[in-house]
Amino acid sequence: MKKHHNNPDSCTACTVCVANCPVTAATRKFRGPKMVGPTLERMRLSQDDIEPSLEYCTNCKNCDMSCPSGVPISTLNMLARAKHFKNRKRSLRDWILSHGEKMAKLSAATPGMANLGMKMSRGILKKIGISNKAPLPPYASKSFSKLFKNLKQTSYPDKVVFYPGCFINYNDPQVGMDFVAVMQANKFEVIIEEDFVCCGSPLVVNGFLDEAEENAKKNIAVLKKWTDKGYPIITCCTSCGLMLKQEYQELFHIEGVEEYAKHLYDAGEFLLDLHDQGRLNTNFGTLNEKYMYHAPCHLRAQGMGLPGVELLALIPGLDVQDADAGCCGISGNYGFKEDKYDISMEIGSGLFKTIKESGRDTVVSECGTCRLQIGHGANVKTLHPMTLVRKSYEAFHK
Amino acid sequence: MREYDIVVIGGGLAGLMAAAAATKRGKKVTVLSLGSGTLTIGGGIVDVMGYLEGGIPAATPSAGLLQVGDKHPYKMIGRPAIEESIRFFKEICEQEGYSYIGNLDKMQWIPTAAGTLKPTCLVPKTMDTTELKKADKVIVLGFDALKDFYPSLIAKNFKKIPAFAQKEYEVVMIDPKLSEGRDVTALDVARWLDTEDGLASCIEKMRNVVPSGSVVIIPPVLGTRPNYLVKEKLEQALGCTFVETASVPPSITGLRLRTMLVRYLKKNGVRIVEQAIVAKSIVEENNCMAVITEGVDRERTYYAKSFILANGGFYGGGLLAEPGKVIEPIFNLPVEAPTDHELWANYSLFSSEAQPFAKLGLDVDEKMRPVDADGKVILNNVFVAGRNLRGYDFSFEKSGNGVAIASGYQAAMSV
Repeated sequence: MKKHHNNPDSCTACTVCVANCPVTAATRKFRGPKMVGPTLERMRLSQDDIEPSLEYCTNCKNCDMSCPSGVPISTLNMLARAKHFKNRKRSLRDWILSHGEKMAKLSAATPGMANLGMKMSRGILKKIGISNKAPLPPYASKSFSKLFKNLKQTSYPDKVVFYPGCFINYNDPQVGMDFVAVMQANKFEVIIEEDFVCCGSPLVVNGFLDEAEENAKKNIAVLKKWTDKGYPIITCCTSCGLMLKQEYQELFHIEGVEEYAKHLYDAGEFLLDLHDQGRLNTNFGTLNEKYMYHAPCHLRAQGMGLPGVELLALIPGLDVQDADAGCCGISGNYGFKEDKYDISMEIGSGLFKTIKESGRDTVVSECGTCRLQIGHGANVKTLHPMTLVRKSYEAFHK
Repeated sequence: MREYDIVVIGGGLAGLMAAAAATKRGKKVTVLSLGSGTLTIGGGIVDVMGYLEGGIPAATPSAGLLQVGDKHPYKMIGRPAIEESIRFFKEICEQEGYSYIGNLDKMQWIPTAAGTLKPTCLVPKTMDTTELKKADKVIVLGFDALKDFYPSLIAKNFKKIPAFAQKEYEVVMIDPKLSEGRDVTALDVARWLDTEDGLASCIEKMRNVVPSGSVVIIPPVLGTRPNYLVKEKLEQALGCTFVETASVPPSITGLRLRTMLVRYLKKNGVRIVEQAIVAKSIVEENNCMAVITEGVDRERTYYAKSFILANGGFYGGGLLAEPGKVIEPIFNLPVEAPTDHELWANYSLFSSEAQPFAKLGLDVDEKMRPVDADGKVILNNVFVAGRNLRGYDFSFEKSGNGVAIASGYQAAMSV
């Protein structure tokens, strides 16, 4: 398997990453991936030197994707950010945005109250640096794990473990429920593991690397336990997937990632593999509907193409058009920040324009925060591909 | 099992052209790409053959083609296919609204940011030198704070070129007010001109320093998108002709070309898989069944009826150099190279001879299939295109994108 290697000297300073960086295109305040990443990394290896514009990197990974020399530029940036914040006091804003899981657990008792509180306190949030225009996601009245507990699944010998991630668990549980329904339609039983914690992506982007590593250790132990038994692990969130399989390897030195990563799948990819093996339930009902599709950057970075698009192409009548208009700009919690909101919207402006011009009122995308941003920026409805797959299976029986 | 007609390995110009030609033939194509190729580094103009052995300029690209050595890829591809490939490339550009000018029977000498001229074959309309050649007076326009473009250097060096020595040069500067933040590159200026406000502001500033009717040499900043809107609007507003120079990376003209080709392929149903590190192949009796990518997670297998190997040379990773030998890592195809690797380099960097290492590569037959030392085809359904081919130093002879287009096209037509 490809061993990970963070070598800034592989950079030939060709600047392809600069041409492909959406942040560089949106603001002149960012000195660009080449300079902030590998070039300054050579300095940082010998001295503690912070580049102020490092804060503008969103970790969207378009630089890594464009690099002809395989330099993990965005990861160099995240490591440098963590090093900078290691012994410094953090803002309340960054703490709140990085600890979505903790915040969700605090609010879990009364999500309705929490949502009301959030609406009322947008002014307060703005004061601490969270934009009052940003599309902060409300909490669901019941979390995915609660809904799942009340769900009666048919038991099958084939089982998969589902890693829901914070967004599906606390904000958008219906995606998880749709996924379970799709797996059941394919004669798989879904296992939920209560010991999973946040993948750490929101922590990493704000420099809370030590906490992210603690989460990684917990998740790695649980993931490995299941894959050692031969169970595949499936995610519906592409940023969780990227973190669990790739960024853990790039950021930390923890044993075991390589072994379980072989068995970690994006939901769309898993179903396409079933199709290759001739065992996908292809009783798809016709859906005479038109959608736009947005490929999350963190899906593109995974080297498996666009499985969601290929999967949806199997559904009769369905017309899904890839917007192919670059990054949406949200990058997890980047676009929630008061001082980054405008940059985030500028990054997404090309995508929003493409979507609006298409005249289609709903956009399909795997990533939860991409969906938030697109709904906000293009004023459209959004869906996860699994929702459409479930709908098609149900249409078959009508 | 999902099977494609053709899997193209590599998303540079050779791979993209192969995919385009294959799609045109009605084939179902997947491109496996890693990084965004070298188009955004390398200029976006199509050199076919600029200099012969000994550094002598070829009179025309056609004349250059007649004089290439026996092992040169052009020799294998042959003149008709080269002509067709150029025609096909121009047809795509035309169709996509970003047409290229030039042909094999005329060498175009275009200005560079160093104030020299370089020979090439096809250029975007932003680099058309027709008016520049006619002009008695030329304005060289720079932008304040822009790195790597010094108008006075250009004016000074042009005075040393016989065909340009008689002209009068005036240097003018525009302040794009981009000094806040990072260093300014041509990309920043081009993005400024992409916006309506930026373009309007630029026109206002230019009005004061550029008289109507001028021929203006500028860095490659006429928008980042593959169209001529910025050029047309500027020229209409000011009544001038703008000529972009070839310049250093990031290459705006290369970025436009890549954006256009990728858009064309996607429109035509080509599947492009990014971050696909092709590492191995499954071969049965001289036929490739599949290629295998390795990610940080696991291997993925891509089945196809035919494969086009366009993953570059030493820089792109299509060829690996080890002491005394060169390895082609996916199919382990033979690469003839001196065992004494001291002989790979011409140690006189700016000499009039090509670099021996640049000429190391894969031997192919006229269909671009890899062959062994006896000329016997090694793999029946694998076709090679681009920088991994043997026998040419693109940098020395100025033939890079020409070989990429011709070999990519020929590979796709041979499938």
